[in-house]
Amino acid sequence: MRNLGSFLAISITLIVFGFESSALAYLDPGTGSMVLQLLLGGIAGAVVILKLYWRRFVGLFRGNAREESERSPSEDQK
Amino acid sequence: MGGVEPLPGSFRDPSGNVYQFEGRIFRTVNHCFSQDFDFVTSTGLFQKLATEGLLLPFEVVSSDVLGLSDPKPQYVLEAPRLPFISYPYEWSFPALKAAALLHLRIQLTSLEVGVTLSDASAYNIQFQGIQPVFIDHLSFRRYQSGEMWTGHRQFCEQFLNPLLLRAFFGIAHNAWYRGTQEGITTGEIRKLLRWRHCLKWNVLTHVVLQDLFQNTSTKRTKSLQDHSLAKASFPLSSFKAMLEKMFHWISQLTPLNKGESTWGDYDRTCSYSSTEIQSKKQFILEFAQTVQPALVWDFGCNTGEYSEAALNGGARNVVGFDFDQGALDSSYRRAVERRLPFQALFMDAANPSPNQGWNGHERESLQSRASADAILALALVHHLAIARNIPLVQVVNWLVMLAPQGVIEFVPKNDPMVQELLSLRQDIFPDYTAEHFMGLLQENAVIIKNEIVSKSGRVLVWFKRT
Repeated sequence: MRNLGSFLAISITLIVFGFESSALAYLDPGTGSMVLQLLLGGIAGAVVILKLYWRRFVGLFRGNAREESERSPSEDQK
Repeated sequence: MGGVEPLPGSFRDPSGNVYQFEGRIFRTVNHCFSQDFDFVTSTGLFQKLATEGLLLPFEVVSSDVLGLSDPKPQYVLEAPRLPFISYPYEWSFPALKAAALLHLRIQLTSLEVGVTLSDASAYNIQFQGIQPVFIDHLSFRRYQSGEMWTGHRQFCEQFLNPLLLRAFFGIAHNAWYRGTQEGITTGEIRKLLRWRHCLKWNVLTHVVLQDLFQNTSTKRTKSLQDHSLAKASFPLSSFKAMLEKMFHWISQLTPLNKGESTWGDYDRTCSYSSTEIQSKKQFILEFAQTVQPALVWDFGCNTGEYSEAALNGGARNVVGFDFDQGALDSSYRRAVERRLPFQALFMDAANPSPNQGWNGHERESLQSRASADAILALALVHHLAIARNIPLVQVVNWLVMLAPQGVIEFVPKNDPMVQELLSLRQDIFPDYTAEHFMGLLQENAVIIKNEIVSKSGRVLVWFKRT
């Protein structure tokens, strides 16, 4: 459990952060809280990305369907 | 520095200090923080929060008012003086919950205008009746894009974990909180959790994972991790979502009660008849009408029935004290339902809050905060003198010392409630009589009025300190 936690904490720290922010406060926010926030931010970010890809994926079919329906009957008769 | 000294509890934040000077309350804003303070002022946030009653209003006064010269503050703010200062280890569950929700609401509102809170100390909140109000104007600073919720760990320790202690296990936070002063650490609360608690997403993240991440950094990896963390970014949308979810979670928390409260239903189970209750209320009403006290302390306030009578008689504020959680919860409900300026606090009269914290003065003892114009001590004396073996003379002197006037109820030995206290023990209290009590009271006070209010001979005594 301890090793798994350590692995997760370091992985999340190193992988998830992307942009730099250097706001340091007089209060120590605590490593645990910060890694957790990165994890939650990462999950939220992943959900956004998944939603985006899902829309594109669904849009692919919808686009085909729309193309199908938009095709004029006369074209079909040709 | 000039002649005035900052209050002992305001040393942690370098942005400024709090001063009490000629009975007024001032807060200095130091140069190092003036840019942030100017920015927050320019957003209109202070005005908005104060108008909504969420933040204590303030006025910028002359920076020379305190005579401080080294360093001279950039600004000096004056805020209204609150009738009573209380601490989170004295609050009941619903009060701590209301304070937690206020903190989250202010943090969310602040983010809308590019401001954030620099910490999440529960001591930044005070109560006006049941209404929590944020008092620290220097906790607000400019939000920097991508920064994290700096106060999250502190919020969990000072608000969330103490609430979980009662919500999950039915244990009140007060004794533990008073011991640590900073709340309950996430590591401590995690040790108490069962598997079924950990299956909840909020518990898994804010308690289990936070503690796991906090503890699993090895010395070898910590510097690398801390370096990365200091530069890490947290999207604003995630920050807001985290606050909103925390708000929703806390608003759903309720105490786990296992029917252990002795006094929560005292109104129904006490040995009084309704006419006796009425005459007792009438006595308190008349006392309050005559004295018109700005602040009353009601020791052993129970469900707040007689605090309400004092308010009806003209008392402006009542602070009640009791050690029974059920009674405190009932008092809170009464104050909410009837919109009373009444705050019920956890306090054991035989062990009141001491001076404590850094240098023994960071948080003041109850006695140091004794500012009441009057006290009520109804059905309290026998609990101290008989149940706790405190000599009657000491009980009387303590009560008279707390306020210049008040009403004390003496419950005689033949009353069923005292008989119950003596049922399993030897009666070692030969001096516990109404006559002896009156004699002791008259050593330091005059008796304005007294009245027998029950068949068993309970007597209410209206005294005035000499």
